[in-house]
Amino acid sequence: MKVTITEWHGAAYWRWNTDEDDDICGICRHSFEAACPDCQLPGDNCPPLWGECSHVYHMHCIHKWISQEASKGQCPLDRQPWEDKRA
Amino acid sequence: MSAIFAKRLQRELRELQASPPVGIAVETVNDSLKQWSIRIDGPEETLYAGEQFHLQFRFPEAYPLESPEVIFLDPVPVHPHVYSNGHICLSILYDQWSPALTIQSVCLSIQSMLSSCTKKQPPPDNQRYLMTAHRSPKDTAWAFHDDKV
Repeated sequence: MKVTITEWHGAAYWRWNTDEDDDICGICRHSFEAACPDCQLPGDNCPPLWGECSHVYHMHCIHKWISQEASKGQCPLDRQPWEDKRA
Repeated sequence: MSAIFAKRLQRELRELQASPPVGIAVETVNDSLKQWSIRIDGPEETLYAGEQFHLQFRFPEAYPLESPEVIFLDPVPVHPHVYSNGHICLSILYDQWSPALTIQSVCLSIQSMLSSCTKKQPPPDNQRYLMTAHRSPKDTAWAFHDDKV
């Protein structure tokens, strides 16, 4: 039998490659595949952000923490000075 | 109420009720999720075996970016780091708070603080502290100088 394909639709799926055991943000405890609690939609506008220390949080969550004086500018998990990892 | 506050607290409640650590149980949670009471059993084979204590957690709107207020309700354990008004001298509740800490990890720290106690006695400055203490322990300027007990 010979089949001729006349039309096709591609469908793709993507996820953040965060390498975390359970893929949740250590601050809000939501999945990286979901948005941080202040965003409606997951995706590029609410990305995970790595620190130089290799820990990862929602960008919005870690920036909220770092902007507080109580954070002393430290990563919540290892208390090292937080610096956004340069891509 | 901020979204991060409500969603994280709901999630923590669900997880604590589904799989509570040994000796820790959520007792009451008010409708706004702002105030919880949690039972903590004196761990076996420690000075507190057989005793039951109750922690009161109060969550600020900024939780988990800001620490919860955690105190012992009556009966307060007799412990070198627990004042008789229920205030607890434990750095993670104050200047060492991190949003990566959870209600469960705070309870486990307090349980471990009880477990490692070698002599039931109140803090040496208990009387002085009671005279000057604010209602909330978060308003105390804590000095932490002893990690041993």
